[in-house]
Amino acid sequence: MSWRLDVRCAGSGGQGLALAAVVLAEAGLAAGCEVALTQEYGPEARGGASRADVAISDAVIANPQCGVPSILLALHDKAWRRFATAVPAVVASLQSGSTVAVVDRDLVVVEPGTPGVLALAFEAIARDELRAKVVANMLAVGAVSRLMGRFDGALVESAVAKRSPSAFRQLNVTAFRRGWAMAGEHLPPAPTGEVSGLVSASRA
Amino acid sequence: MSERQLIQGNEACARGALAAGCSFFAGYPISPSSEIAEQLARELPGRGAVFIQMEDEIASMGAVLGASLGGRRAMTATSGPGFTLMQEHLGYASLAEIPCVVIDVMRGGPSTGLPTSPAQGDVMQARWGSHGDRATIALAPGSVQEVYSLTIEAFRLAEALRTPVVVLYDEVIGHMREGVELHRPTKRQLGRRSGPKAAFSPDFLPYAPDENGVAMVPDFGCGYRFHVTGLMHDERGYPTSDHHKVAQLLERLERKVEPAVAAVSPERYRLEDANVVLVAYGIVARTARAAVDLLREEGVRAGLFRTRLLWPIPDAALSALCRSADLVVVAEMNRGQWSLEVERLAGGSSLLAPYLKAGGSVITAAELAEHVRQSMREAVAAP
Repeated sequence: MSWRLDVRCAGSGGQGLALAAVVLAEAGLAAGCEVALTQEYGPEARGGASRADVAISDAVIANPQCGVPSILLALHDKAWRRFATAVPAVVASLQSGSTVAVVDRDLVVVEPGTPGVLALAFEAIARDELRAKVVANMLAVGAVSRLMGRFDGALVESAVAKRSPSAFRQLNVTAFRRGWAMAGEHLPPAPTGEVSGLVSASRA
Repeated sequence: MSERQLIQGNEACARGALAAGCSFFAGYPISPSSEIAEQLARELPGRGAVFIQMEDEIASMGAVLGASLGGRRAMTATSGPGFTLMQEHLGYASLAEIPCVVIDVMRGGPSTGLPTSPAQGDVMQARWGSHGDRATIALAPGSVQEVYSLTIEAFRLAEALRTPVVVLYDEVIGHMREGVELHRPTKRQLGRRSGPKAAFSPDFLPYAPDENGVAMVPDFGCGYRFHVTGLMHDERGYPTSDHHKVAQLLERLERKVEPAVAAVSPERYRLEDANVVLVAYGIVARTARAAVDLLREEGVRAGLFRTRLLWPIPDAALSALCRSADLVVVAEMNRGQWSLEVERLAGGSSLLAPYLKAGGSVITAAELAEHVRQSMREAVAAP
């Protein structure tokens, strides 16, 4: 049966969520999947709560719209509120386990006990360890692509390199690897030879 | 199979234009079409071609027409407010038979409306925006891949039929990124411009039609002396008010765009046994296809007629479709434009329940499916 994953990359304009979505779509394309990336182009993309959505499937993507995402990446609290807590269908989907939320530990305030949320220190690690706050988005790409459980790390890494400006290529790749490793600590061990993930795909 | 590239709809448009041999762009940037101008501003100058940012859309269209008369494959790109300003010159291009391609990436209107939200509100403007009984061709791609291929087709039609061709798509398609194969068009897909078949002589007739009813106007600078006007003209290109000649000219201009109907065929999805027919174009056709699948799972015999051609309207196909269906739902992001044409073509032969949504958001598959269910219930309940 064909599958489909919807990833919503949400944050505040300027955090690089659009690029994060482009990298994920590029990885999907390189893996031979169908992809569709839509994003908000309004004033939100310049400072408000903005989003970029990637649909990835092994079948034709008739409808590019992302309803309830399989993965919600939120790097800012106002994006978390707009795309998670304010949307009953997303809240229900987090509860049922159909959606996994990946949020920045320090930038998003998640009510204790909210199910399906993985809070990781993207910005803190980018700032303190990699000395570049700007690569928090690539840490997130690493984590999200690992949790998807669909793609080989090297394939996504190539997509990161392809879409990075040359001055940031090495830094972005380093950030990506760090993010990939961070998410790995939260995954159940995979059977030998398989890639494990935390996200269930929907039917295409 | 060439490698697919992840590109945006507007970039696919620019790449399609380049593949089609576009060598002149004049325009004025406007959301959500600006990436087309941005890309062509980078690409055209290095190829011996011309990119000009004009002072406004009126001037842009004027420059496009001048370049085209000089033999260039010429285009512009805009959105609703700019498209409005281009209407006068579009009418001129139709009557004077000047090939050109106009891309309109639709946003919410009227006026400056919703600059970065999708809409399908310019469908009737493409048809009737310029005054007079003007024949017109308007294409409606439904994917990033199709933006590429239909931009190439727009140039072919414009050149072969010597007429403006409009490509209408919405903000979502314009900004969406998908995997696209940038195939190189064949000679046939590129087409060629109708031109004179004999050398210049004093009795040369630039506006005499060829076997396809298309004027054989030469390019300026090729040794022919002739006159171009927005007045009704005879075959010499000189103004006339001879009623008979004017009527003939208008008829010919209308007839000559008819080949577009066969050239730009619709996509028929699960229509074989369908008694519930959804009709849509552009981004809405994508969600309508998903709605068809939802309804099929419930046992509803639904199908989709996705048109890639808005004008001239594929009337024979639509009339036949309406006669064979019990329920026809035209879904579009406006207050009812193409749906009115379908209603006219149906002529009362089937139940029509258009689903119209204006306001800046895309019609979802779920709401469209629910509208179909509701319409079916109402049809059963009706005496």
